[in-house]
Amino acid sequence: MTRLVHNEFFKLHTTRAPFLLVAIAQLVVVGGISGVFLMGKDPNDVATVRLGFSHVGIVAIFSLMLGIMAVAGEYRHKTITDTYLATPQRGRVVGAKVVAYATVGAGVGMVSAVTALATLAIWMNAKGASLDLGASGIWQTIVGCIVWNVCFGAVGVGVGALVRNLSGAVAGALVWIALVEGIVGQLVGDSARWLPFRAGGAMEGLPSPGVAQLSQVAGGLVLVAYAAAFVAVAVTTTIRRDVT
Amino acid sequence: MATIAIDGLTKDFGKHRVVNGVGFTVPEGVITGFLGPNGAGKTTTLRMTLGLVTPTRGRALINGVPYARLAEPRRVVGALLEATGFHPGRSGRDHLRVLAHITGLPAGRVDEVLELVDLGPAADDRVRTYSLGMKQRLGLAAALLGDPEVLILDEPSNGLDPAGMAWLRDLLKKLAREGRTVLVSSHVLSEVQQTVDNVVIIQDGTLRYTGPLAGLPGESLEDAFLSLTAVPSPASKLAASQSAASK
Repeated sequence: MTRLVHNEFFKLHTTRAPFLLVAIAQLVVVGGISGVFLMGKDPNDVATVRLGFSHVGIVAIFSLMLGIMAVAGEYRHKTITDTYLATPQRGRVVGAKVVAYATVGAGVGMVSAVTALATLAIWMNAKGASLDLGASGIWQTIVGCIVWNVCFGAVGVGVGALVRNLSGAVAGALVWIALVEGIVGQLVGDSARWLPFRAGGAMEGLPSPGVAQLSQVAGGLVLVAYAAAFVAVAVTTTIRRDVT
Repeated sequence: MATIAIDGLTKDFGKHRVVNGVGFTVPEGVITGFLGPNGAGKTTTLRMTLGLVTPTRGRALINGVPYARLAEPRRVVGALLEATGFHPGRSGRDHLRVLAHITGLPAGRVDEVLELVDLGPAADDRVRTYSLGMKQRLGLAAALLGDPEVLILDEPSNGLDPAGMAWLRDLLKKLAREGRTVLVSSHVLSEVQQTVDNVVIIQDGTLRYTGPLAGLPGESLEDAFLSLTAVPSPASKLAASQSAASK
């Protein structure tokens, strides 16, 4: 199993797309945090710092994409044939990808946290404020956001294994996050806090006045449940299908 | 002893039966040609043999066990299925390094197979820049990586130029002489005639002939092929039953 997981990292770093995605994610972090200060939020308020760090959570979308590409990308380029010829136990292949891309999510989250830290330090310095990482709730937000990336990496593998069509899975995931969850959220009221992106958002640990929200820990557990459900359904249905 | 034994293999895609009760064995030490017109069911039969497609009925065994039950499948079986199974952004060398790693082979083995298929300096270029013939050579390198006793190659001469075809012919003969089991599908008859020892001919998913090349009826392989794969005629059925009786 260790060899299977390592093989996923090997595949990952022999192509450019993952590095490009992680680079774009850093631009999102820098742009998002700059937006917070350009809007004129108080640099001395700890809430501003936590809002800045919450952008580490937003880049979980990139961890999700990497997870989707791990399976659906192999179907797209037909490298899945060689993968299954080397490891005919397809459930093990998907399991290794879950472990690998949860780890990749952790990496994306940590790199993004460093980028966020640097961006915040520069902005606060410019505004004459000082960055105090010991202030209440800051680490809670940083760690929660990194774990959101971990969970979304695993969820991505589940989505990719279930859908198998790369463009369909990527487009479906983005449309879900940008459109469907908002619409469904309005229809189901408070139950919307159980939806995957909303559950991820809860992991930022920011207060959400007027909106029902899970606790950080519950948000993480809900995402783990989504990942497990997607993978379980995929392994018992789509992944068993003929590779032609 | 490394052999492929296929028994009553049948596959339905929806209502369409693409492979219908095909059975044959592939012995070691010789090259066996797997022939049939396009759409005859060759690729589906090979994919079932490799565990990629689940048979509706029947089974395919390699060394007595199904592919999925082989302990280290890539060290036993080398397969080339189609020239498109590469990530376009990965170099040929990296493609092989990934496969060597998952198979537990030393990195040095990658250089050996690259030399064997003569891919040359292109090995470090991205696969998106490769011609069809170069992709075919890379696919062959991947198949040979685990030094397998069994080779299953689907249309390996696709995209090769005449020099490449001659090279492939010599390579396959050398591999068979080493005692390996070599199964090669093709629809290019003239190519096969100079290479194979045994032939398996299928048409419409049904076995038409299996046996030595020399045992085929008619003047040439082409004659035999055309008569065996034409609309089922009494003559072809007779030939098939003769071949079955002669085994």
